[in-house]
Amino acid sequence: MKKMLQITLGILTAIGGFVDIGDLVANAAVGARFRLGLAWVVLVGVVGIIVYAEMAGRVAAISGRPVFSLVRERLGPGFGLANLVASLFINFLTLSAEIAGVAIALAMVASVHYILLVPFTAVLIWIVVWRLPFERMEQVFGLGGLALLAFMFALVQFGPDWGNVIHQATHPSIAKEENIFTYAYFGIALFGAAMTPYEVFFFSSGAVEERWTRKDLALNRANVYVGFPLGGALSLSIMAIASLVLAPMHIGVDTLPQVALPVAVVSGKIALACAILGIFAATFGAALETGLSAGYCLGQYFGWQWGKYVRPREAARFHVVVIVMVLLGVLVIMTGVDPVKVTEYSIVLSAAALPLTYFPILVVSNDPDYMGDKTNGPVLNFIATLYLGLIVIIALATIPLMIITKAGA
Amino acid sequence: MTEGRRVWAGLQLLDRQLIAHEERLAGCIDDLELIASDDGDQLHVTAILSGPGALAYRLGRRRFGRWLRRVHACASPTGDRDSTRIPFNVVTDIGSDVKLGLDAEETGSASAERWTRDHVISHIPGSGHAPE
Repeated sequence: MKKMLQITLGILTAIGGFVDIGDLVANAAVGARFRLGLAWVVLVGVVGIIVYAEMAGRVAAISGRPVFSLVRERLGPGFGLANLVASLFINFLTLSAEIAGVAIALAMVASVHYILLVPFTAVLIWIVVWRLPFERMEQVFGLGGLALLAFMFALVQFGPDWGNVIHQATHPSIAKEENIFTYAYFGIALFGAAMTPYEVFFFSSGAVEERWTRKDLALNRANVYVGFPLGGALSLSIMAIASLVLAPMHIGVDTLPQVALPVAVVSGKIALACAILGIFAATFGAALETGLSAGYCLGQYFGWQWGKYVRPREAARFHVVVIVMVLLGVLVIMTGVDPVKVTEYSIVLSAAALPLTYFPILVVSNDPDYMGDKTNGPVLNFIATLYLGLIVIIALATIPLMIITKAGA
Repeated sequence: MTEGRRVWAGLQLLDRQLIAHEERLAGCIDDLELIASDDGDQLHVTAILSGPGALAYRLGRRRFGRWLRRVHACASPTGDRDSTRIPFNVVTDIGSDVKLGLDAEETGSASAERWTRDHVISHIPGSGHAPE
């Protein structure tokens, strides 16, 4: 059990990355629109985030340097600053949407309009950041997010023709009413969600918060190899159940409660309650991940004292950044913007910012000056370089595709 | 004390994290002060510049950098010493971070931190609560 609890950092990171509000809706929407035609993208994304999160965790364990320190050290202050501005903006958009997501999950139970719950939600998030120790936080929300297994349960209970499901997933085709551009656009959204930079910011800073050392390299691998595939599997089950239940009825998905609909249809009330609990924990976890990441990025770029491992008064600027971010997020959501649209934009924009975060990780994990004898092997470097190429191509294609498809409309 | 060690200043010093006493994070190396040796073919690092203004100056915003530094010097309670300049002889170790034989309070990064702590964070209940 103790061992099990030590991999909650990976689980929380992955759940916050793969199944936060934007992805929950994106996965279900993709399932309802493209069936399983884009499932392979999730697999490609899972492998990519495993490769890079393992490197980021290893660098943090061996050298004590979290990702945004590496960004500044290897890109220099100019490009580092550009990445900082972009990352803060993306974090901020995502955090705003997650605050709404938590409020929507609560509203599904409380029967009040979610906007009314937004201030309450924000206070709750801040209290967790302010008071809950880091490890307790990742255990509560990492394990809470596992309630999303209800989607997997519903999928199994639905009992699809598995041969057909696998055939659909392995022979992707584009439906008549879609075109290659919308297909590519949603593909990028799924890939961007799998590899969002805040996952490596949070994961590597979490490794520093937990004081990982050289002895924890096995723990790093366990976190990565369990957490991210689990996140990917949850994301695929949401997509699959939506494609099986919603697509035949021609129901599209554009709000969070619709995501849970197939679970209610297939498995009934108790499973629905689990799904809602899971959505609450996952969006809450993602809010923590993005809110803290904003503080981590700024703190690490400027070298401030950051983190939850010291008293709040000893990391004053870090805590002010988190508070300001949460407050601004509340303001954005209170205007009544559609939180799902907000995350969809933030995911796609983050795809455009990916190279500036992943390139320094690859460079430093090969630098014996930081890593001693724990540098990358040739196979890992080969895969990582392939992914870096892919990330660069995607970064270049993102904005044009967004314009051509009018953001997937 | 690291006496006469040869380092690749651009890669191994610039932009690295500074660590003060008690493992406190104390800013980054925003810039370096170099002095040419007597025969003129070697450069020696004499000080680390870190804190308000130093980074802006290095990024080419020279006027803004100088202004920030002046404001910071006026607001600084010590007044007598420019805390953004850290003489290189207080460096105790150079690794993936740079360790200083100083208290975090004595570095250039400390004044903004102190202000935020005293005027914002310490007014919120629980700010001194140990994180376990």
